[in-house]
Amino acid sequence: MANFNIDADKALTYDAIVIGSGISGGWAAKELCEKGLKTLVLERGRIVEHVKDYPTMNLDPWDMEYRGGLTPEQKAKHPIGVRTGFIGAANEHFHANDIENPYTEVKPFLWVRAHQMGGRSLLWGKQTYRWSDLDFEANAKDGHGVDWPIRYKDIESWYTYVEKFAGISGEALGLPQLPDSHFLPPMELNCVEKHVKERIEKEYNGRNMIIGRVAHLTEPLNGRGKCQFRNRCDRGCPYGAYFSSNAVTLPAANATGNLTIRPFSIVQSIVYDEALGKATGVRIIDSETNEEIIYKAKIIFCNASTLSTTQILMNSTSSRFPNGLGNDSGELGHNLMDHTYRVGASGLVDGFDDQYYKGRRPNGIYIPRYVNLKDGPQSDKFVRGFGYQGGGQRAGWGQGANMQEFGGEFKDKIMNPGPWEFFITGFAECLPNHENKVYLNKDVVDKWGQPTLSIDAEWGPNELAINAQMRIDAKEMLERAGLKEIMDFDKKHEMGYGIHEMGTARMGKDPKTSVLNGTNQVHACKNVFVTDGAAMASSSCVNPSLTYMALTARAADHAVAELKKSNL
Amino acid sequence: MNRRDALRKTGLLAGSAVAAPSLLSLLQACNQTPRLNWTPIFLDENQATFISSFVDTILPKTETPGALDVKTDIFLDLVYAKTYSPEGQAKVKADIDQFNADCKAKYGKVFAELSKEDKTACLKDHEANTATFNRGVWGTAVGEQKPVGFYRQLKSQALWAYFSSEEIGKNVLNYDPIPGEYLGCIPVSDVGKAWSL
Repeated sequence: MANFNIDADKALTYDAIVIGSGISGGWAAKELCEKGLKTLVLERGRIVEHVKDYPTMNLDPWDMEYRGGLTPEQKAKHPIGVRTGFIGAANEHFHANDIENPYTEVKPFLWVRAHQMGGRSLLWGKQTYRWSDLDFEANAKDGHGVDWPIRYKDIESWYTYVEKFAGISGEALGLPQLPDSHFLPPMELNCVEKHVKERIEKEYNGRNMIIGRVAHLTEPLNGRGKCQFRNRCDRGCPYGAYFSSNAVTLPAANATGNLTIRPFSIVQSIVYDEALGKATGVRIIDSETNEEIIYKAKIIFCNASTLSTTQILMNSTSSRFPNGLGNDSGELGHNLMDHTYRVGASGLVDGFDDQYYKGRRPNGIYIPRYVNLKDGPQSDKFVRGFGYQGGGQRAGWGQGANMQEFGGEFKDKIMNPGPWEFFITGFAECLPNHENKVYLNKDVVDKWGQPTLSIDAEWGPNELAINAQMRIDAKEMLERAGLKEIMDFDKKHEMGYGIHEMGTARMGKDPKTSVLNGTNQVHACKNVFVTDGAAMASSSCVNPSLTYMALTARAADHAVAELKKSNL
Repeated sequence: MNRRDALRKTGLLAGSAVAAPSLLSLLQACNQTPRLNWTPIFLDENQATFISSFVDTILPKTETPGALDVKTDIFLDLVYAKTYSPEGQAKVKADIDQFNADCKAKYGKVFAELSKEDKTACLKDHEANTATFNRGVWGTAVGEQKPVGFYRQLKSQALWAYFSSEEIGKNVLNYDPIPGEYLGCIPVSDVGKAWSL
């Protein structure tokens, strides 16, 4: 699809460089290319072309040699992936090699990486929610972290802009804490979900249960097909039905003729020119030849993913920035956040044995935040809040493992749909905390001799207090909804497991306490933009990717306007 | 190596495998020592005989195919051979040997050689005395999971190996690879058996 600039001599200078091709990098590429900038996207991994490079997209279990199981050799490459449990034969090729890309867990931290064109946009959960002023005002109100330099009104139109192109399905509710997106038709709740929704909304004033808002097409859009309900998203979608860089933004960028993607390009650092007082380019290592090359551009977008972007900035030292590019505040690498999300309850629902569903819906239910809103119940145990995801389904043959039966009758019985199960699991906001940090580790180098990250972060008392409440509330909601055999749970997982790492190069009003300004520019080096998760000044309790998209489109618009005014 | 090649390497072509269940049940009916009619690539002959007999007892042939019809035993041997760590491999062998030793102590014979009644009694005993799996959320068990022990693990594996086979997935359960839509509430009678995927 794209021009692959493998021959380095041909073009070393571009208008813009984008580091990374995942969710935010794809958006940066699209916006900058569409505004006429010759744009080089530096991708650390290989090219993954939409459809062509989705080798497992149509495989049934029996088509895989071990029906999804990994060999010891595969597991050895992915110790982190194996710990998360998110990796299997169908998606192993989209997970980075953990051995070639080591990091140090000062405290336990799961860092899930996807080093190829499209990055984690091929693997993400696709839940998409707007943030609200409840989120953008939170730091200012309770004093944790620094105030966001933006409010909802600054980003609202950009949410709409990216939603129209990405395609977000969902139901409008009009809730102030969870603003409605520009929606395609919602997916359907099943019988049991409808029943539980009715019960919860009747039992609790001010609580809602809705179908998840997701970046899946429920109607065709711009030549992409709608969701076929196969639920094989993490293998790549042959219909382009879910949002990924590969299916959506990079093809749009490429259509302009302005895009060059260079694969196998590990960004070593950003080159800062002391005399000019700005960045002039990016130094890469070709991961196949180990050759070092410097590419030049007027503006640089950092979209390598939260921690990789910060790692690059830390590695970009100069006389002006001895502690990392843009690190005048000392906050670079600090305030790492994630979401806890395995705290909730599960139960059985009686009375729907004659009901079933068709299709494998890649989506569940959502219960928006209901505590510590502007109005309504306030907690005296914690600040901020939480929401729940979840869903209902009938057990399949797996029900048989626990049944105290075996033999012919047993076998034929478990071929029928089993009991209805329903669960909810909370997603808790995580406070920005200076002590939760990453730093460069020169003693541990990667395959290319580059310093790696040490990650030193853990949940604080506020997160743990929210977890405790989420567990209590989850159990109570399922009880009052009439479920049976309820099990409440708290997996007590380490940070990183939520794969919502945020912060470490936060936006802020004051250069003394933040790394980026209100348009995602490095305060003291304004032609460098950071628009991935690193930029986040707080974490909300809702999924962050939609906000990365909106911030990126907004920053790209600002960058091009500033270029035209010769301000960069 | 694809799965077909793997099976071919075991010396088992489709034709010879079909004979397996009838032969085994015939031998058991005569109450003789069952003889293995496939060549394991990992388990020894006694262990392989145990696996064949175990999966056949859990999931025998009825109007629908049994575990042996869809080569559940041969597939499990492959899984142990190709996806287990050396430690895991040693453990599964030791677990099978222990299971047989317990059978011998209690019923006088290894599992495969027991009468139908004793096999039933043996498995019922294990059912009653082992922990069960906690419910899962997004693929991981919730709550404090007690060790379930070898019996229930193997039963669970047998179910997986059986229901993930092409014959059961495509021709016995309801196979719908591209649903095209999600319908949240339909009568179960419109579908019949559970969806396979």
